Amino acid sequence: MAPLTPYTYIQCPCSDVSPLSRSNDPNSPSTAGADDEERTFDPRAPRSNFSLYPLEYLLYCEDCHQIRCPRCVAEEIVTYYCPNCLFEVPSSNIKSEGNRCTRSCFQCPICIGPLSVASIDSQPDPNLLAAPDQAQSGTNILICSYCNWSSTEIGITFSKSNGIHAQLAKIRNGGAPRLTAKEHKEKRKEEAAQSRLAGASSPESEQNLDVETQFANLKSFYQGQLAESSSGGNGLSSLGDLGFASPNSLSRIMSIYTGGSLHDKRSRSRVGTMREALDSDEGLQLADLDESAAISKLQSEGYEATISTDQLTEQPPRLEDAHLHGRTRFTSELRPIPYLLRTKRSKRCPVCRHIISKPEAKVATTRFRIRLVAGSYIPTITIRPLNVPGGASPTSPPDALVPLQPAQFLLTFRNPIFETVKVTLATPSKTPGRFPSKVTVLCPQFEIDANTDVWDEALNKDDTDKDRRRRRGDENNNGGNGNGNGNGNGNGNQPEAGKIWERGRNWVSIVVEVVPASLRLDLLASTANLAGGEGIDAGPLREDEDILEIPMFVRVEWEVEGGGDEVGSAPGKDKEATEKRELAYWSVIGLGRVGQS
Amino acid sequence: MATSTGSTLPHRAVANIKSPTGGGSGSPSTPPRGILSSFGSPSSLRAEEDLILIDFGSRKLQVGFAGDAVPRGSIWFGPDQQRRVGDFRIWQADYKNDWKKRASGRQWGRDYELWRPDVRELDLGLVADKVERAVRDAYTQYMLIDSRPRRMVCVLPSGLPLPLLSATLDALFSRFLPPTISLLSSPVAVAVGAGVRSALVVDLGWAETVVTSIYEYREVHTCRTVRAGRMLTEETHKLLASHLGQSQQNPDSDPEYILSFEECNEIASRLVWCKPSQRSSQIKPEDGLATVEEQDESETKSQQTPGENAKTTVPLRSYSPRTSLDLSYEELAKPCENTFFDSQYHMSSFDDHELPVHLLIYRSLRQLPLDVRAICMSRIIFTGGGANVLGLRRRIFDEVSHLIEQRGWDSVQGKAVDALQANPLLKKRATRQASNGPTGVESRPSVGEEHDGVWYDAVPNLPEVDPVEEQLKRGRDKTPQVQGVMRAVETVGAWSGASLITQVKAPAIATIDRDIWQQQGVAGASKPSDVDPKNQRQSLGAGGLIRGAAGASWTLGIWGAS
Repeated sequence: MAPLTPYTYIQCPCSDVSPLSRSNDPNSPSTAGADDEERTFDPRAPRSNFSLYPLEYLLYCEDCHQIRCPRCVAEEIVTYYCPNCLFEVPSSNIKSEGNRCTRSCFQCPICIGPLSVASIDSQPDPNLLAAPDQAQSGTNILICSYCNWSSTEIGITFSKSNGIHAQLAKIRNGGAPRLTAKEHKEKRKEEAAQSRLAGASSPESEQNLDVETQFANLKSFYQGQLAESSSGGNGLSSLGDLGFASPNSLSRIMSIYTGGSLHDKRSRSRVGTMREALDSDEGLQLADLDESAAISKLQSEGYEATISTDQLTEQPPRLEDAHLHGRTRFTSELRPIPYLLRTKRSKRCPVCRHIISKPEAKVATTRFRIRLVAGSYIPTITIRPLNVPGGASPTSPPDALVPLQPAQFLLTFRNPIFETVKVTLATPSKTPGRFPSKVTVLCPQFEIDANTDVWDEALNKDDTDKDRRRRRGDENNNGGNGNGNGNGNGNGNQPEAGKIWERGRNWVSIVVEVVPASLRLDLLASTANLAGGEGIDAGPLREDEDILEIPMFVRVEWEVEGGGDEVGSAPGKDKEATEKRELAYWSVIGLGRVGQS
Repeated sequence: MATSTGSTLPHRAVANIKSPTGGGSGSPSTPPRGILSSFGSPSSLRAEEDLILIDFGSRKLQVGFAGDAVPRGSIWFGPDQQRRVGDFRIWQADYKNDWKKRASGRQWGRDYELWRPDVRELDLGLVADKVERAVRDAYTQYMLIDSRPRRMVCVLPSGLPLPLLSATLDALFSRFLPPTISLLSSPVAVAVGAGVRSALVVDLGWAETVVTSIYEYREVHTCRTVRAGRMLTEETHKLLASHLGQSQQNPDSDPEYILSFEECNEIASRLVWCKPSQRSSQIKPEDGLATVEEQDESETKSQQTPGENAKTTVPLRSYSPRTSLDLSYEELAKPCENTFFDSQYHMSSFDDHELPVHLLIYRSLRQLPLDVRAICMSRIIFTGGGANVLGLRRRIFDEVSHLIEQRGWDSVQGKAVDALQANPLLKKRATRQASNGPTGVESRPSVGEEHDGVWYDAVPNLPEVDPVEEQLKRGRDKTPQVQGVMRAVETVGAWSGASLITQVKAPAIATIDRDIWQQQGVAGASKPSDVDPKNQRQSLGAGGLIRGAAGASWTLGIWGAS
């Protein structure tokens, strides 16, 4: 099993774990946070996965002094662009032309690699030049350079090498042409005019509609019916436009299914006002239940001719085909996937509406104009195993924690802000879950010096690291907060309760001691029986259950100069009063896998 | 129009409430309409506003803008969706191999579902989280919209349990802050998407197959069975496991899953097909016994074309060690056979929750009132993921036709019925064709066969003028409706149907205001019968005008009726 790198996750205070009492305003994290304090957070609960974020994903609102996670920011779109051609798409096109690139950017339906347009080598025949339509037809294909899929496999070739999207919309798989909905409408209009002249009925009444056309036909049918039924009543047919929108006709049609209470005379009187669609021009499509062709295809071509579910879900919505039902499973029904457009988004704090992240509008740049990442406001935690000198196994850091044997870890808190912060940690003494491990934070309360004076450190460069650390520790001890680790004798010191292990300019290391639980299921059952527990879950070990995760409530307090708007601003200006700030959140510290004996 | 009094009467009634001065007059063609349009179509005020339409399925979410033909995208639920952000283990090389830790035993495949109809062990908060993440993913990935509040329309199965509905609405209201959420029932949307007013919607879904009869856009009857997608996947697993067991020399039936859900689901969707009904190729069976199904398998085997003996090689990656199986198509049709038909058992041996689909449809039709049945049976709509099984729709259709042919609409079964069916006269009636009459009057002769003589003579001679019937006749289009014959109709789907409904700006079953929801929650909903529909519609229609009205009762429609 892969060794686990220790990790830290932070729960955004906006998440409310309680299923019953959802706070009225989810965007006021302060209230939710207050609730959390009384509950032990279980990082293994399935819901926790939705609220835990690595520090890098979190933002910070300077005005509300709160962490903002992707769930609790308001987003605004800066740019729409195609990730393939980096072409910026105007927002009006999104509405009208959909969410995919309408140029020539396609993904391979087999391997989602980018498709490129290639021309098939065809002999330039001078005879054909006379008829350019003929000459050019079928000279270009889409080809995947990774898996060598090409659009000839679905029988599609293109006459021009640009505007593939528009061309593809007019070709069915196999090369048969297709009319778009608009063309259908025009065609029908023409036919109606012709048939009026000729006095004959429409010839193509029972055709196989594709989804888009059926939808369009249904839409025009319903709107026609609504207009008819509403205008017929009171001779307001001149106000035809009002017809659809007026509640008069609306309620007449659709309200009928609002429930049994409408089952009265009134609704009955309305029943007749709208009929159902009768032919394919009105959107009625009889189902073609005969799938024997597809079945025999399946049987002759076998597993290889079908596509995986992943490939199926990647497929764009099938507008251009009739209902495929089971036939979507064949590779011959695949369509090249136009690239989904992407967006650049700026993010605002939902409470104070201040922008907390704003990317550069230009597609090609990856810079941000504003980005308030949480990592520069709240302490980062790094974890490494502590090799205690003279301990059991100092030589090789074990891949897995040994059950029931104490192990010590060093948590290093690094303070990014320019004030001294006071950190208070709280962990449950036993981790939640089926296999409770014992956790002891040796020094749950400490102060981290401010992130000031980079020069200070630079100037003191002549000191060795050890000296500096010791000196800092001594200073701190003398400073009288009682948390400092005074007995610095280099590597020789022992972890001691109430004392920090090491400290530096803006960081502090503390020791956490854990006694990993045994993962043996028989022990679990016996202990549960001793405790009289009922309904213990003696199922096999689940995914990640062997990872020792510590829920840790972190509370950070610091003081800023009064009136200073920005937390990160340099202190030193003598203002009258200081303001106390605090931030509290749950975090999850993953220490490592517990070995299975 | 001749029915002007009839059709303006309700308007006046609505107008009375809104402006008592306007509606009192007797003239039908004056002011009320104007008042109505200014008051009652707030939708035009917001016409340019996007309306977000979400279709909730058991396994996927379809999201798009109302008015589009197809959803912008669909989000499938899966275990990877439930990972922590920043957890990239799915890219690890051996990720797929240790599936057993993730989902074994009863959890097999559960991560791929948004919810189950059985909410007893369900973490509703988790459902809310899943909904939220899925909608958020859809917003960023497919919709490409910012997070400004937008009105939402949710298409929900009509049998959705209230706790699930409540959790869903909670998630949507609290995270996406829509001013209102409207609810539409998916069977009705499916019917609208087919262009019909009445239909028998057969939703071959994931957890359940639901047969809903829609009559005039109203759900009149619903019945369900567990024979659906999940069962198909489990049957596929059973089939594969039995084959693997043989090769392993390990015949004891292990209830544990030996293949991953992903793989079984994939094979079910790739290779499983449905054998055509043998009756469609046979001459019409004369025996008419319900137990005829017992001969099914042997007969089909004998009828096979040589091509059906073909085999295909199925690679199995989640099995350790990796292997592949040669399966004949005969075998691959079995899961479908067992799931949806189970024809080796007698029809009376099924519990109510596990009726075979064709029997369910037949019973559902039989329980409908006569007129409704005649209309619905000619508008059968197959929808849902199960409809993707090749040949299944045809098979169900044929089986139901056969049942109807065999039994008529007589709910009495047994030897006496067999004797009756031997009577050639009655048999002929049972296979009657559509009656030509546009109204229910003419279809009456087909009431329960025994009474034919009586009814047939009695009804047409009735001189009584029923005002309701008159109105019906006048209002209805003169084109004869297809009825009384089995017919399947294609639909554009629930999402697109709902898109049509919202496109024509019809009011939804229920529209819930965010403020009211957050004040009152699900407990505040009244039963639909308690809410005055006129009031309700008014408050819906007038939107912002009446939104603040305190004490206005609101409803969750069919979902709230508990």
